[in-house]
Amino acid sequence: MRLELKDVRHVYAPGTPFEVEALRGVSLAIEPGEVLGIVGGTGSGKSTLVQHMNLLLVPTSGEVLADGVDARSLEKRELRRKVGLVFQFPESALFAPTVEEDVAFAPRQLALGEEEVRERVRESLRALRIWDLAARSPFALSGGEKRRAAIAGVLAMRPEVLILDEPTAGLDPAAREELLALIVNLRQAGISVVLVSHDLDEVAEVADRVCALHEGGVRALGTPAEVFYGEPAQAPATVRVASLLKESKPEIGDPVRFEETLAALKALPGV
Amino acid sequence: MENPGEGTRPGGSLAVSCERASFSYPGSERPALSEVSLELRRGEYVGVVGPNGGGKSTLVRLLNGLLRPDSGRVRVSGRDPVTEPFEVRKHLGVLFQNPENGLVAPFVEDDVAFGLENLGIPREEMQGKVAGAIRAVGLEGYERREPSTLSGGEKQRVALAGLLAVEPQILLLDEPTSMLDAAGRREVLERLEALRAGKTILHVTHHLEELAGADRILVLNEGDLVADETPERLFSDAALLRENRLVLPVVPRLALELGLPGMLRTPEGLAGAIIKRTQSGTRTG
Repeated sequence: MRLELKDVRHVYAPGTPFEVEALRGVSLAIEPGEVLGIVGGTGSGKSTLVQHMNLLLVPTSGEVLADGVDARSLEKRELRRKVGLVFQFPESALFAPTVEEDVAFAPRQLALGEEEVRERVRESLRALRIWDLAARSPFALSGGEKRRAAIAGVLAMRPEVLILDEPTAGLDPAAREELLALIVNLRQAGISVVLVSHDLDEVAEVADRVCALHEGGVRALGTPAEVFYGEPAQAPATVRVASLLKESKPEIGDPVRFEETLAALKALPGV
Repeated sequence: MENPGEGTRPGGSLAVSCERASFSYPGSERPALSEVSLELRRGEYVGVVGPNGGGKSTLVRLLNGLLRPDSGRVRVSGRDPVTEPFEVRKHLGVLFQNPENGLVAPFVEDDVAFGLENLGIPREEMQGKVAGAIRAVGLEGYERREPSTLSGGEKQRVALAGLLAVEPQILLLDEPTSMLDAAGRREVLERLEALRAGKTILHVTHHLEELAGADRILVLNEGDLVADETPERLFSDAALLRENRLVLPVVPRLALELGLPGMLRTPEGLAGAIIKRTQSGTRTG
């Protein structure tokens, strides 16, 4: 699915003294099968923006198009099945006695046969590599395992676009790397992923394109190299190192990912 | 008053100590902490890292008296945090993960004064302490702002000022930057760095780079204290890092891969070292 936002504005509490314009005309598309990173400081509009992608929030003005069709004309259930949203700290919504039952909860609402539900749960638990935890209570899991169980529940809906809002917040570094590996796998399976993160280093590793938000508007949108080298002061560590070297060593190019950057540094004469 | 009671050693000046402290949560199969012994001397800056479920939060709860050890002994400034909570709270300030949960008052200055009010400090004395604490975190001019209008980094600095107003000798920081964006993290870390001289600090975090300047780093894994190392040693011990699910941040990782010291923690430092090497013409690996 290609999801497109056209000039989306969002005003919270319009007409009251608390009126805030959280989005000021945002246009961007999520291309099928890409990982789009959304970055920006606290209050830049990241969470407001992604909630428009499945119409949990309706734009004050502007449009959301799913494969060219106005998303408001689609059935909401169907839209939310295709565009799965995983909130920040999603593990707070785990509730069932076992991980398996928790993950089965959402697909059960789809009028599928029991066997189909079971199959989807298996597939989801395998994708998140928590198959061995199926019979455990979600409350007995570690932080990283809980996070993955919560994501598995959304994945069991077989979304075409998966939105992850700060999926690595509060996870230990190893759990974080596992989650990034999962994002890469999902993309290989043809699922588009929107990764909202304030951690630029992780966005650098997995994003195909990056949208940088600032005060509710798009500050930059493009490949990671275009966006990050456009403003190296607010870039991942790899880009900051390379851009500091660029003046004296232009041959370093525009590396973004860790391995790319390491290779570019090693290739410098004398290093 | 150098050695106020048990838990300190002759001649030593212990701010925090655990002696074979163990704790299990009801119904869990393995202890959250098992026989952990550690000591913090006055003025030390000690980091605590380790995987989720390693025991970091349990250690924090034992030190601030929220939990009582099943066995072993915990002392803060020589006192038992469970039986003398009010005394311990004068010596130990705790900064939590989420700044939203801690701010209660309508204005910044009231929030900073909250801890002092609870200690029954006279009003005149309080005003001076509040002003000093607000200065220490660089929030002059914010006294009459409402906490809800502040950024995450600013809120966390207000919470920090509230701790400092009570003038504790020991700061216990429980992932104080994990909910903040990059700018907020920098703000809070700079303020903490400035406080080092006068305080004993125990800093729990998932971000190893925040501890590059610490005196020591403790590693907790599955309830055991598995390492107590200087940052230099820990950062260059790939096996120890891997076993404990620790991942080096990007800059020291690049530095180590290039055969440069892993203690280079800023992009500027690393870029400088690379330029120096290309100029000197020496080549390694």
